[in-house]
Amino acid sequence: MRPLAASLWVLLVAGAVRAGGPPSVVSARILLAANAVHAGTTVRIAVMARIDSGYHINDHKPSLDYLIPTRVIFGDSPSLKVEKVSYPRGKLRKFIFLDSPLSVYEGEIRLGAILKVSPSLKPGTYPLRGKLTYQACNDHACLPPASVPLEAFVRVVSSSVSLQPAHSEIFKKISFE
Amino acid sequence: MKKGKVVLGVILGIAVAVGLYFVNQYWIAPATTIAAKSSGEFPQAPAFSLTSLSGGKVSLQDYRGKVVLLDFWATWCGPCRIEIPGFVELQRKYGSQGLAIIGVSMDDGPEPVRQFYTTFHMNYPVAMGTDSLGELYGGIMGLPTSFLIGRDGRIYAKHVGLTDASVFESEIKELLAAAPSHEVADFRPAGYTASQNIQVSTPAEVNSVIPGVDVSKLSPGELKEFEKVLAQGRCTCGCGFTVLKCRQVDSSCQVSLELARTAYAKFLKTHSG
Repeated sequence: MRPLAASLWVLLVAGAVRAGGPPSVVSARILLAANAVHAGTTVRIAVMARIDSGYHINDHKPSLDYLIPTRVIFGDSPSLKVEKVSYPRGKLRKFIFLDSPLSVYEGEIRLGAILKVSPSLKPGTYPLRGKLTYQACNDHACLPPASVPLEAFVRVVSSSVSLQPAHSEIFKKISFE
Repeated sequence: MKKGKVVLGVILGIAVAVGLYFVNQYWIAPATTIAAKSSGEFPQAPAFSLTSLSGGKVSLQDYRGKVVLLDFWATWCGPCRIEIPGFVELQRKYGSQGLAIIGVSMDDGPEPVRQFYTTFHMNYPVAMGTDSLGELYGGIMGLPTSFLIGRDGRIYAKHVGLTDASVFESEIKELLAAAPSHEVADFRPAGYTASQNIQVSTPAEVNSVIPGVDVSKLSPGELKEFEKVLAQGRCTCGCGFTVLKCRQVDSSCQVSLELARTAYAKFLKTHSG
């Protein structure tokens, strides 16, 4: 237990010194399934999140009611509306601090959603903003609930402009339910 | 061919030596039991006064003469929940000998804490924590974080992460054996502890316009000048802010805190007298 606890402490403090406060162990970005969109249509988006090695975050439907779920939240804009967020299935992992396994996210995860573009949106570039909220732990300690900002710029083009698919390999692996 | 193998062997040898250096520096060395610090180096536990779940006051000063285990925890923290039954047992076993455990919940609100308190038959006071209390205790980077405070009010051990109850028990027994108001200069932590790096802050530092640095002695003109100094340096934590801005937007940043305190010490030297 001692070397593990020690390495945990080194990890937390080294991360704290590097990052300034409690370590930020999750990074995330948004990808669009096309290079542009037409007004009045929808486009698939993906939220790619990476969790630092050694840490996990809870499934969006946590195994226990006291655990803080992982969530993606987008700003409430009538022009760009995110619908139907699809979360990946978590992995069952056993931890030293619990008898039963927990469903958690580790490593890289991909969330999918549908972006609805208002028919009245004129051609231009528009920001899409949101955040991924989570609460991370490793085998011995937990970090405070935190969030990662999400931002992408959506290019709206006229209906006469053809669209090109983007990040096909990534979107193939996401289940949009 | 033979020469190539020798060169490769030398390179590998150097790589192993460098790797061992870093492993020792950052992993093995911290895992060893840390020798007792010299007298006077265990910091005084910062005073605080909170309201417990039951509505009573929990003030650290009321526990002077007792050994206090101060536990920062939360109901959503699995490792914290595992530790607590052990604390309940320690309180039961050593309460009459002078042990007082205080739980500080870092939950957003008291309701889940009240439910937990009842379900787990907690037998010591629990109060809701605040960010400023965490900052007084050097910043709470992870939960659980527990401090062992001796009868003399000094912090002798800091444990971050799930820690076996036997570690706490061993340290509690050593501290209970000490006479009140006497520093336990030869205290030896039973488990891994961050006692070498127990940073605490004063209320003046936590509430300062430059969080973490007590600038109350500066005149308004000197304060403006010092703020300019901090606004010129960049914090190296990765935030991209000046030291001043980082202090203001993220008072938990240990990097800008250290930079600001070092700059303040230099500033005082050049402005003294």
